[in-house]
Formats: sequence, structure tokens, C-alpha cells
Amino acid sequence: MIQYPEIDRYSALSSPIHDWDPRVKLVSILILIFSIVLLYDLKLAFIGLIVAVIMLFISKIPLRFVGVYLKWVSFFILPFFLIMPFTVQGTELYRFHVLSVTYEGVTYALLICVRAFSAALLIFPMIGTMKFGTTIKALESLKVPNKLVQMVMFTYRYIFVLTSELQSMLRSMNSRGFAMRLSMQTPRTLGKAIGMLFVRSYERSERVYNAMVSRGYVGNIRTSHPFKLRDKDWLKAFPVIGIAIGLHCFAGIV
Amino acid sequence: MKKAVCIKNLSFRYQDMTLALEDVSLDVFEGESVVLLGPNGAGKSTLLLHLNGILRSEKGSIEIFEEGMDDGDIRSIRKKVGIVFQDPDDQMFMPTVFDDVAFGPINLGLSEEDVGKRVASALSMVGLTGYGNKCPHNLSFGEKKRVALATILSMEPEILVFDEPTSNMDPKSRTELIRTIKELNSEGKTIITATHDVNAVPEIAKRAYVLNKTILAYGTVKEIFENADLLREVNLEVPEVVKLFEILRCFGYNCEELPLSVEESIEHLTRTIEGKDGHVHLHIHEHTHEQLNSVIDRHFHPHKHHNFDKI
Repeated sequence: MIQYPEIDRYSALSSPIHDWDPRVKLVSILILIFSIVLLYDLKLAFIGLIVAVIMLFISKIPLRFVGVYLKWVSFFILPFFLIMPFTVQGTELYRFHVLSVTYEGVTYALLICVRAFSAALLIFPMIGTMKFGTTIKALESLKVPNKLVQMVMFTYRYIFVLTSELQSMLRSMNSRGFAMRLSMQTPRTLGKAIGMLFVRSYERSERVYNAMVSRGYVGNIRTSHPFKLRDKDWLKAFPVIGIAIGLHCFAGIV
Repeated sequence: MKKAVCIKNLSFRYQDMTLALEDVSLDVFEGESVVLLGPNGAGKSTLLLHLNGILRSEKGSIEIFEEGMDDGDIRSIRKKVGIVFQDPDDQMFMPTVFDDVAFGPINLGLSEEDVGKRVASALSMVGLTGYGNKCPHNLSFGEKKRVALATILSMEPEILVFDEPTSNMDPKSRTELIRTIKELNSEGKTIITATHDVNAVPEIAKRAYVLNKTILAYGTVKEIFENADLLREVNLEVPEVVKLFEILRCFGYNCEELPLSVEESIEHLTRTIEGKDGHVHLHIHEHTHEQLNSVIDRHFHPHKHHNFDKI
């Protein structure tokens, strides 16, 4: 069974974050994400992480689902943790032969980890609590450049089609005796398969474009979005943006 | 009768100079349903892409309701001609079914209320009311095909063009789609269908063109299916019903005009039985084996000889 990257799998749940105007939600949480990733103080970054975890709990998105995605984030973050403690100059904590672990190195690595995980966690309440189509409409309604909105939209729509095409290619390769081995044949075959996927994608893009032009596409995509702002949408935005600003006010004091 | 589509001497080469169409001329009248028959690679899809100006050729002319492609606004032609593409994943590019069906009407500049009405009506015509919030990747292939049709119906075109509408569909979805095409035609829509599903042809059209880069023949569906040599030349065959009645004829069933569809065969059998005191008489006569061999060779194994002496 194909594992689709369905970020909006839990969009049908009911929570105060699900029931938040998509536009205000996007902007508020994005401000919070920027606020956290721009922090330079580890303690404040930890507070940011706690806020992110609380928001994730409020959104009711299952931790197991989030965990699957965090695995990939860890894949990119952990190398920092393995390299920085040994490479950043500063107060020495431990020494193994020629390698020394510094306090500053550990602190920086932790800071990067905490900021990255906080941002990754906040993505879920931000876009995992509404259908991806609603996110697109919110972006469009927020006057994000239309070309950018189209790129996001097509990436999301066709990632499923391409995943299933890749899956069927791999299946067909396996059924004809292909297996991953430690030989030059494996990367060569995979390279050809991925190359074919690019060719197929290109051909599909032409057909999709034809279908779009047939239905009156002239460069812009418009959707209908019946969003209505209510007082409670603003009430939810205040604490989130408040925390975002507050973290930096504290950073100034600290 | 008014011509909905008039193509004169159209030729087309792709950029790599491959000849796709050569001197194609055809007419489709308003309210008519016409089939474009041809093997794979015959240029059917290429011809269809000319009907709303996606592909343009310098050789030949195309008129839609007497309006040339270069005469006026190409948007008005695209409003009149709706193409349902073969692969629904090409046709559905928006994140939800509603947005996809609404894409055309929004581009036509309709109000939000009218867009909503058109979407609801199009989804109801294809039997998918309530599917608006679904994501395309969660639909079955048959459902995707129906949504693809709805995305065109919502634009309310006068001419509907189908590219291989029944390919890869399960029998039930195929039957439903054929019924929808027939209904649309009976409501007055002009229908052009490119296909090599010969069993579907008698159901959806009265007239057919045989295309293999150029028009090889045209006429009523009956006339086309009577031309066995032509069908063989373009890798096509007669519908299964025709084969069955040819076999029945070997056993003495009297039918000069072969029925092409299930509906026609019911009519034919009823007529025959009513005219023969309530029954049909089949028997093996002296030429049965010889005739059967000939039918089998013609339709099933053109390169192999059979011996049915032991029947």
C-alpha cells in the first residue's frame, strides 16, 4: 500500500485550532514560527518548544502521526548534534583523545535542534488542521503571489500521482527480478527509473496544461473561498502573536 | 442542419516532423453524436486537440459553429467545445473535487452563486453529489473519470469531445458512462468520441469516421462495420454482438442485417420469434461447418485454420 504524504489526514477533527479562520491561523502561527527560529537564547527556545507542544496537544493531532514526519526532520537535524559539539570553539567539557566537546558547541547544537523541532511541530497545527485545499485558498486570499500558490498547489496535487507512478515502476522492476544490491547495477537502474519518472512528469505536465487551457486558464488560478472572520478568530490570534512578541521582549531583557 | 464542427483539409506535423494528420476533412452536425474510430497512434487525440485551438495547424481550417479559430475570441470557442481527456489525472489538477469542477465556471467569470449552482448540477449529472470536498487522490479511477466529465459539464459546452472515454473502466462504470453520453446527446449536446472500443460505438453514435492519420472512410456505424477489410487494415474489429449473430446465421438463423448492439439484437430476436410462431429454429445444415470455419477465421484467428467437423 502506498504511503501518501497526507499532511491533512486529521483535518476533520474538532478542536479550537481546527475551528480557527484559516487565514488568521496561517499568519499567527507563521509569526510564532519565525519568532522561535530567530531566538538565540536556549531557555527561551525551550519555552517556544513547550508552546509548540501545547499547541499540538490542543490541535488533537495524534503524536504517532507527527512522529512519522519528525523522523525525517531528525534525519537533517541530528548531524548538527554530532558535529557542532566537536567543532565549535569554547569551554571544554570533555576530551576524548584529540576530540574535545565544548559547552558552546553543545548549546548551539541544542539551540538548532530545539528551534527546528518547534518549527516542525507548529507546522501541524498550522496546516494539518485544515484540508490542503483550504490552505491554498487561504494563501490566495492572503494575496500570496498567484504563481507561488499554483506551485504549492500542483506540487501537492501531483505528488500523489508521481508517488503512485514511482511505486508502480518499482513494482514492475521488482517483478522482473530487480533487487537492491551493493553493486553498480542498482544505482544505474534506479537512476534510469528516476530519469523515466522525470520524462513522464514532463509529458504529464504538458497534458495537464492542455486540460487547463481547455477550461479557460490564462495564467492565474482563482478559487472561491467563503471565509468569514469572527471575533473569536482574533481572540485566538492574540495569545499566539503575543507569545511570539513576548519571547523576543524577554530575549531583550535576558 | 447547422454544422457544429467543420474541418477542411487539415494536416499537422509535430515539432520532430512526425506527420500526425494528413488532409483530414470532416463535418459534425449540431445535436449529432459522431465517433472517430482508429487504432493507437492514428492521430485521434491530436485531432481532438485542434477542436478548441490547443494545437494549431497552418494547413487546413477548422470552424466551430461557423466561427473560425482565427476569427474571434479563442475563449468563446473553448466555452463551446469541452474536451474530456483520456487520463482523468491530467484533467483534475485542483486540490478538491469542488475546486476542480468550479475551475472552468470561475474562468468564465461567473458569480460565486452561479459557480456553486453549476458545480452542484454537474456533480449531480455524473452521480457524484456530495463529493465536493473529496481530494482527487482519494477517488477510484471510475469516480475520477466521472469528475473529469463533471469539470467539463460545469462549463455547459455545446460540443462535448471524449478521448477514449471507456478505457480502463470496469464494466459497471463503463455502462454508466455510456448511458451518460447517450443522455447528454438526447439533451441536444453535440458529441464527438474518439475510441477503439468497438462495442461501445453502436451505443453512442449513428455515424463514424475511420481515421489513421487521414480519413479512410466515413458513413453510418452500420456501413463502417460492414467493411471488414477496412476494419482489419486499422486493427479494429466488429462488436461482439455482430460475431454472435454471424455464428447464429451459420446455424440457420435468418438475419440479413446484423444487429450491432444488445438493444438491436433484442429487437431482432423479438421480431424473428414473433414472425416464426413463437420460436427460433437453429440447425446444423450441410454448409454449417464451412461457414463456421470462415467466421472463426475472419474474426477470431485470422491466421489459423480450424476444423469444426466434430461439432
